[in-house]
Amino acid sequence: MTTSSVRAKAPDAAATAPGPGRPRRRPFPGFHGRMMAPGILVLAAVSVLPFVAVVAMSFSRVHLLGGLGLEGVGLDNWGRLFTDPDMAWAWARTAAYFVLTVGGEMVLGTLLAVCLWRLRRGRNAALSLMLLPMFVAPVIVGLLGRFLTDSTFGLYTWLLRQVGYHGDIMGDRTSAFAAVTLMDIWEWTPLIALIALAGLTSVPASVLEAAALDGAGMVRTLRHIVLPSITPVLLVALLIRSMDALRYFDIIWNTTGGGPADATKVASVRLYETAFRFFDFGYAAVTGLLMLAVTTVVARFFVRLLERKELPR
Amino acid sequence: MTTATAALERGTRTARWTVRVLVLVALIWTLVPLGWMLLSSLKATGEVTAPTPSLSFAPTLENYRRLFSGGNSLWPYLRNSVVAAGASALLATALGALAGYGLARSRMRGKHHLSFWIISTRMAPIAAVVLPIFLIFRYLGLIDTLPGLVLAYLSFNLPFAIWLLSAFFAEVPPSLEESALVAGCGNWQAFRHVILPLTRPGLVTTFVLCLVFSWNDYAFALVLSGPHTQTLPIAASQLVTQTGIDWGQLTAIGTVVVIPMMLVGLAVRRWLVTGLTMGAVTGE
Repeated sequence: MTTSSVRAKAPDAAATAPGPGRPRRRPFPGFHGRMMAPGILVLAAVSVLPFVAVVAMSFSRVHLLGGLGLEGVGLDNWGRLFTDPDMAWAWARTAAYFVLTVGGEMVLGTLLAVCLWRLRRGRNAALSLMLLPMFVAPVIVGLLGRFLTDSTFGLYTWLLRQVGYHGDIMGDRTSAFAAVTLMDIWEWTPLIALIALAGLTSVPASVLEAAALDGAGMVRTLRHIVLPSITPVLLVALLIRSMDALRYFDIIWNTTGGGPADATKVASVRLYETAFRFFDFGYAAVTGLLMLAVTTVVARFFVRLLERKELPR
Repeated sequence: MTTATAALERGTRTARWTVRVLVLVALIWTLVPLGWMLLSSLKATGEVTAPTPSLSFAPTLENYRRLFSGGNSLWPYLRNSVVAAGASALLATALGALAGYGLARSRMRGKHHLSFWIISTRMAPIAAVVLPIFLIFRYLGLIDTLPGLVLAYLSFNLPFAIWLLSAFFAEVPPSLEESALVAGCGNWQAFRHVILPLTRPGLVTTFVLCLVFSWNDYAFALVLSGPHTQTLPIAASQLVTQTGIDWGQLTAIGTVVVIPMMLVGLAVRRWLVTGLTMGAVTGE
């Protein structure tokens, strides 16, 4: 029988006995501190420094030509945020994209996990095959999606034509949005299925037996016994996926580039374009900080969840 | 297992078939794009973009041959990918093992905040991180250098490695190093010879996942690499040009990029749940 658990405390579980009996000088910063130092220093260099830089950029106009230079412009960049309808649209699209991809992945992933869990033979082989999309570089997912939906020779275009759909998938606003959403769902549903399945295999057999003895059918067992007991695991899956969903923009950038007519221009695509197409680094920095704020809130929930003691082990 | 569970496990005939059909549908949906990529990469140029998809063709390695020969061959890209992703994964695992162990065992005040800071750097949106790193690297002359790319990849690999490995170390009972210390080992020896060997699966999983993340990276390489340091994902996206796309080549690159990661990823499948949830959920 396999087991799985949600850890009550992530890296925090060592509040245990002190060292060995013999008296020992404890130099500052101590052994553990010295172990952490190199990693923490490198991490600070690649994260704190950029953070300070991006905050500085958000209050500046950035000159790239003739030597790098920041020219303070006060709150100008931040002010533009409120008078930029395009930006509001980008965030609305981000929200829609987020809800559709993460929501779709959660529902389909859980369903898939339940199916795999009920599968008596071939579960391992089926799971291994289903996990494959997770390892595909998002750029390749995007380019492959483009290949499959090409208006003249795409395999999926051809299949849709057989059932009577003749539109140009990437040329129409709605279908282009649906296509990039489905590509994300294709790649990341397996992750949710994998995590949910780990939760399902940990549901004790005795509980299921009791349910069966009480005459509960499969659907009722799932709804009232199985789902509640894997909720913490599903929550972890949801948070992991949520944080990543806002991170990546490779798929959209390599399929539609934000088009057609801005239909798929989510915040990260907009940021990239602002910075590296229009070289407006100050305003891009504002967008970046906003995205950072959103993900920090999600990360906070994640850490809280991991630290809650009442999670089952 | 009792008969009651057995009855439940078996379910009704309809339920069993529903499950099988749904799994089959999911498998088809998952595998068709990958299979089509592989098949297309083995087709001759004209056949790849035939308006009617066909399964009967004479397979050829022509696309791969063209990919790895000639003036703009894939070799330099492949080398850059291997070096950048490999070095970054190795460094992240090494630094992550030290820091993760320190974090798991430390009893310092404010550890909670340190953990949160570490995880939040992993969650930062890539676009928001690339932006300042681009300016800093430009200032330091690190654009279009492999060390620069390695350093940039550490921005997401290192927090991941620290957090995940610290979860693996937390699973090892502290009594183990305590007895090693009593037996006369130093702190470092206890870590090196007692704890580290016990967490080998954790180290391998961390390395593999870091390798996958950086090998698959596009956003950082797009902004920070130049003609000398472009990686495979950039090579793939560069085949998309104004004049048209050589889909035979593109599907071949796709296959080259994807297969190694699938192999290493499935090699650590047992620990994938732990790895991808950064230690929050453990499976099997």
